[in-house]
Amino acid sequence: MRPYFEKMPGFGKALKENRIARTQESRTKLEAIEAEIAVAKKAAEEVGIPAAKINERGGLTVYQRLEYLVDPGTWQPLHSLYNPADNEEGTTNVVDGLGKIGGRWAVIIGFDNKVLAGAWIAGQPDNILRVTNLAKRLHIPLVWLVNCSGVKLPDQEKFYADRRGSGAPFFRHAELEQAGIPVLAGIYGTNPAGGGYQAISPTILIAHKDANIAVGGVGIVSGMSPQGGFDLAGLEQLIANTRDMKNKPPGSASTHYDATGFFTRVCDEEKGVLDGIKEYMRMIPAYDPKFFRVAEPAEPTLPQSDLYHLLPFNQKSDYSFDDILARLVDGSEHMEFRPGYGPEVYTGLVKIDGMLVGAIGNRQGLLPKGYPEYADYPGIGGKLYRQGLIKMNEFVTLCARDRVPVMWFQDTTGIDVGDIAEKAELLGIGQSLVYSIQNADIPMMLVVLRKGSAAAHYIMGGPTANRQNAFTLGTAATEIYVMHGETAAVATYSRRAIKDKDSGKPLEPLAQKMNEMAQKYYDTSRPAYCARYGFVDEIVDLKALRGYLKAFAGAVYQNPKSICPRHQMLLPRVIKG
Amino acid sequence: MAEVLAPLAGKILAVLVEPGAKVEEDDELVVIEALKMENTVYAPSDGTVKEIKVKVGDSVEDEDLLIVLE
Repeated sequence: MRPYFEKMPGFGKALKENRIARTQESRTKLEAIEAEIAVAKKAAEEVGIPAAKINERGGLTVYQRLEYLVDPGTWQPLHSLYNPADNEEGTTNVVDGLGKIGGRWAVIIGFDNKVLAGAWIAGQPDNILRVTNLAKRLHIPLVWLVNCSGVKLPDQEKFYADRRGSGAPFFRHAELEQAGIPVLAGIYGTNPAGGGYQAISPTILIAHKDANIAVGGVGIVSGMSPQGGFDLAGLEQLIANTRDMKNKPPGSASTHYDATGFFTRVCDEEKGVLDGIKEYMRMIPAYDPKFFRVAEPAEPTLPQSDLYHLLPFNQKSDYSFDDILARLVDGSEHMEFRPGYGPEVYTGLVKIDGMLVGAIGNRQGLLPKGYPEYADYPGIGGKLYRQGLIKMNEFVTLCARDRVPVMWFQDTTGIDVGDIAEKAELLGIGQSLVYSIQNADIPMMLVVLRKGSAAAHYIMGGPTANRQNAFTLGTAATEIYVMHGETAAVATYSRRAIKDKDSGKPLEPLAQKMNEMAQKYYDTSRPAYCARYGFVDEIVDLKALRGYLKAFAGAVYQNPKSICPRHQMLLPRVIKG
Repeated sequence: MAEVLAPLAGKILAVLVEPGAKVEEDDELVVIEALKMENTVYAPSDGTVKEIKVKVGDSVEDEDLLIVLE
């Protein structure tokens, strides 16, 4: 299959001077949003006790632990701004992402020990479930830096119970282990109750000498047996008990190394724990990337800095998706699937770090005359029509057959609407794509380049494809909502407008309401909002996108659940004809 | 000689070239606002802008003449 993959056809055009000049303002706007996101990420990193104070106590922060643990240049953070419950802390109190440890990809997550000693807080269980799902989808190890003081007690009603509450991750750890995916834990500090289960549920437990894990910590053990209230005598007794217990908290390293043997290893130094994780990571099965590479890795021949002139900040401007993709893939080469069919959608095979990946994206701008073929109105890029939907179904199905992972790139305003579109079966073919994706059982990732809207956001490999979508990225131009705010205002208030008009009421108040609604849609669809509420897993600088694509491809091909020999693949033959 | 026609009906939002300008194939010439989008019209071939038939704000119909290249 060397002739197919070693040198694929080149694509993408060089930027023209007039485009650079015309898009300078757009570039400035994109970079301004990226700068705002960077400031917000920095603020999330610095929340809680200053790092210097943790270091004075002889400890490292979670970020310092990650820096030591993760192979340089491989860290791809996720959920940096995720805070769906609007916690006053500004985070969900865990830090996670994809990174290599000892040369192998892992999903890595750690409690932020600067904040409430790594407590459980609202929104955190959902963050952890995203992370366990990611490890499962990519079939790579999950690495925990456990340092968890348990429930933030004043807020327990927000996250302790419920179907996706704080106990759900323990079941997910078991699920990963049953699927043959190891969970490694480096354990620090005091980990009572919930923290104890965070520490005991992984596969291999490596502890720092001062760590303890327990069903209940000092606070609970010394204060058990409720008396029906509090009085001075009771408090004196509580103080005495707590002082006594604090000297030897339950579940110390000696208990769980010498007595229970739960800890595989106890380390005197903080970094010793991380060295232990590196050692265990190197024991975990992983293919040499060369095993699956179809060509030598190569950077795109077209510069990634061009992306700032190719992706318009203005949501109405058209652009060439092919030119964007050419800046992200090896050698700016591809094999396009059915180029003349369904022109509103790009589908094709590309290489990322030498490995084969399928790419699907919305094309923008005017479509050829006579398309869509079922209608007498012109087609426009970003919308989905019959042929494009059928093409995506076919491509996903063939990728699944050949075990090729898929990267989706969305910039969509939705599926064509109206009775003509209904007769063209778009509702049914859209749902067929959902079926095709669900049937595929291959890892997928999504970049919402600009608009993610209407049902198209779901059916184009969106995060609602829970079992297939590993993660979703946004950019500085990302905008996610069910429809544009002005469209929503019209849909909501058009009948009311008629009523008010007919009854002689002034229309100004209604116009104001409609403007307010449109503004709300705008405010709640911005990149930072999308990241905060989990519409995307991270907002990424355009120049950093390829790093995530490489992490995705590298992780997918590290230890796949199933493989297709390249000489038995069908999709490249179908493309060649 | 090449005639650049409007690919669809809409309003001229920008004219990106001037008479006498040399253009290459795929250079951006005109932006038409239609179907809620700003749609770029590109040069079909290399040439020099001989005549511009529209200005910003004009309404055009499908296949109206926009620019003449020579």
